[in-house]
Amino acid sequence: MKTKVVPTIKLYDYLIVPIQIELDDSTIEKLQMQLLNEISERKIRGIIIDVSMVDVIDSYISFVLSETAAMAKAMGCYTVICKIQPQVALTLAQMGIKLKDVFTANSLEGAIDILNQLD
Amino acid sequence: MMDDKNFNDIDINVHDYDIVLKIKDENDIAVSRQMAKSFAQKNNFSLADVTKIATAISELSRNIYRYAKEGYIYIKKKETEPGKDISIEIIAYDRGPGIENVERAVAGGYTTSQRSLGLGLSGIRRLMDSFYIKSEVGKGTVVVVEKRRRRF
Ligand SMILES: Nc1ncnc2c1ncn2[C@@H]1O[C@H](COP(=O)(O)OP(=O)(O)O)[C@@H](O)[C@H]1O
Ligand SMILES: [Mg+2]
Repeated sequence: MKTKVVPTIKLYDYLIVPIQIELDDSTIEKLQMQLLNEISERKIRGIIIDVSMVDVIDSYISFVLSETAAMAKAMGCYTVICKIQPQVALTLAQMGIKLKDVFTANSLEGAIDILNQLD
Repeated sequence: MMDDKNFNDIDINVHDYDIVLKIKDENDIAVSRQMAKSFAQKNNFSLADVTKIATAISELSRNIYRYAKEGYIYIKKKETEPGKDISIEIIAYDRGPGIENVERAVAGGYTTSQRSLGLGLSGIRRLMDSFYIKSEVGKGTVVVVEKRRRRF
């Protein structure tokens, strides 16, 4: 399946993924498939997921993001979640949800710095 | 009456609620989240509390969809006493399989789902000001939560 739910931008061997749509369950699952495909087909070594437009991240979305990052890692690719809205971060912290297997950054530049250092 | 949901000591009169949503499809989870968000925004809740309310509803709707297949979300604005601030009450109701060990489910970290964290109910409890759950195996589950509006 080659349908892309989120248009992505390739920069060096990094993939920038700006999420600008509502993350319902089937969308986030399709996004996971899409990213794993892109990692292997476009030889991606780092993924930057920009969630600045996402105003709710619940436990399932968190789970799928971490799961995707763990799968990406197994394929030799690191994941940075970038620009989480402060109130979303607050909500996740209060619920006791930790985003496993991902790095976090508060800007695109910060995300690229993290990936550059991992190389 | 067909419209009235009754679950032992909990009576839900649908006419008291501002929003009644049937949760039946996966997409209804996102719909309920968006409706809760705009309802809390319209009632001048802070951005942080709007996010907490929308997240809590997302968890409740998903539990209905996942474990009971279908059920309802009820949302209303509650004005307590004059001069006091308002609150939003949310009820999640289903006639699904019920929860065997409610205490364990609410404590957090317990899940019967394969791809899940088990942090929904415990998370909702922490996000809201009040939390009530009643569940009976073979009968269903009701969760009632409330969030007060804070001055900001
Ligand atoms: N409406 C419900 N009907 C039946 N069982 C439920 C319901 N809600 C929750 N449960 C049970 O409680 C457990 C914990 O729920 P929750 O805290 O939301 O975490 P998760 O959904 O990630 O498992 C679920 O795995 C399920 O077994
Ligand atoms: Mg849940």
